[in-house]
Amino acid sequence: MLGHRHSSLWHMILAPTVWAVHFCVVYGWTAVQCARAGGPDAARTGVLIATAVALMAIVVLGWKAWRQWDYLDDFDYVHDQPTTEHRREFLGHAGWLLAIVSAIGVGFNALPAVFIRSCL
Amino acid sequence: MSAARPGLLCAALLLSACSGEQSVLAPAGRDAEVLATLFWWMLGGAVVLWLLMNGLFFYVTRIRPQALSPRAAEALIIGGGIVFPTVVLAALLSFALSEMPKQREPGENLTVRITGESWWWRVDYLPEGSDTPIASANELRLPTGQRSELKLNASEVIHSFWIPALGGKTDMIPGRETRMSLEPTVPGDYRGQCAEFCGESHALMALAGVVMTPGDFAAWLEKEAAPAAIPTSAEALRGLAVFNAEGCGGCHAVRGTEAAGTVGPDLTHLGGRVTLAAGILPMERDALIRWIRDPEALKPGARMPGYDHLSDAELSALATYLEGLE
Repeated sequence: MLGHRHSSLWHMILAPTVWAVHFCVVYGWTAVQCARAGGPDAARTGVLIATAVALMAIVVLGWKAWRQWDYLDDFDYVHDQPTTEHRREFLGHAGWLLAIVSAIGVGFNALPAVFIRSCL
Repeated sequence: MSAARPGLLCAALLLSACSGEQSVLAPAGRDAEVLATLFWWMLGGAVVLWLLMNGLFFYVTRIRPQALSPRAAEALIIGGGIVFPTVVLAALLSFALSEMPKQREPGENLTVRITGESWWWRVDYLPEGSDTPIASANELRLPTGQRSELKLNASEVIHSFWIPALGGKTDMIPGRETRMSLEPTVPGDYRGQCAEFCGESHALMALAGVVMTPGDFAAWLEKEAAPAAIPTSAEALRGLAVFNAEGCGGCHAVRGTEAAGTVGPDLTHLGGRVTLAAGILPMERDALIRWIRDPEALKPGARMPGYDHLSDAELSALATYLEGLE
C-alpha cells in the first residue's frame, strides 16, 4: 500500500505520523479518563504506555531510515542526482532526521504526564 | 527635545511597571514568586542568547570572515540548531511543568466564589464549615500563611481573573466553573484587572486585592458576615430614606435591611472597601456622589441608572449613609 521503501514518500513520513497519532491518543485518552472514567492515574499510565510504544516504533523506523541512508557506507551527505541510489539515500536521510524530530516531539508531549499527577 | 529624550521616556515608562500594586515583577504570593523567577530566568537566558548570536555574527563577518569547514559548519548546525534548543526547551518545559501542580493545589480553610459580571466582581466568601456565603463585591481579601481556593464563574460573557502580584490568571466562563488557588505572603493592597476583553467597560473592571495577616483577616471576615451598621446620625438616616425612596434595594442588598436586590453589588459593608465601582474610584464621599449621579459617565454601559434628579443635599445624605456602611 505504501509503495517500496526505497522510493516511497510515505515511508519517509511514518515517524511524524506516529508522533501525530500519539498526540491524538494522548489528548483523547486524557480527556476521556479525566472526564468520565479512571481519573488521573489511569490517564498517566495510558499516556506513559502510549509514549513507550510510540518511541519504540520511532526507534525502529529511524533505524530502518538510517540503514536506507547507509551513511557509514559511502558518507554521502548530498543526494542531488536523479538516480535510484540518490533517491533511496535522500528518502532515508530525511526519514532519519524526521524520526529524530518525532522522538523529541513525542517526548515533549509526554512530559506533562511525568510531572502532573492530577486532572485539574 | 533631544534625541535621547524619547528613549529615556520609554525606559521610564517601562520601568514604572517593575513595582507597584499591579506588577508581576513585585510578587506578594508564592505563585507570583514562581512566575517572576521564571520570567527572570527567561530574560537572562534571552540576553545570553542574544549576545551569543550577535557575537557569532560579529565573529564570522568581522573577525574571521571566511568559510567554515564543512565539519565545523555541521557541528554548529547540529549543536546550535538541534541539540542546544532541545536541551534548553526541555529544561524550561520541565521546570514549568514541575511548578504547575503546586499552583493548582486545592485551597484549605477558605473558599471564595468570584463571579465576573458586567463590569464588576461578585465575591462570596465560604469559610470552612459555613453553609451561607458571605456576600461582598469588587474586593478580594485573603489571609497570608495559607492557600485559599478560588472558584471562578461568569454571568454573561467571558472574563479573566488576574491579580498579578499574587499569581497567574484564570479565565471565567459562563456556565462552567473554573478554579485556582492563591497563597499570598505579604500583607498589603494590590490591584487586579479583568484580563479578557469583555465589553465596553472591560478596562474599567478592576478589583482590589487586600492581603491581611490571619488574625486581621479572621476579624475582618467576622465583621463582613455581620449585618449592616444601623445609621445613627440624622444625615445618615436621611440618606437611608433616600436609599429606600429611590428603590436602590431593588438591585442592591444591604443585609439587615429590606434591601435584598441581587442585580448589583452587595452594599452591606461598602464603606469598608478600599475602592468604589470595581476599582476605578477611591472610596470617598465625592466619588460616591459622582458615581450615583452619573455612573454612565464613569463606566460606559454600566447597568446602574443615573440619579442626577436628586438634589445635592439628597446625594450628600446618601453618600453619608453609604460611607457609614463599614
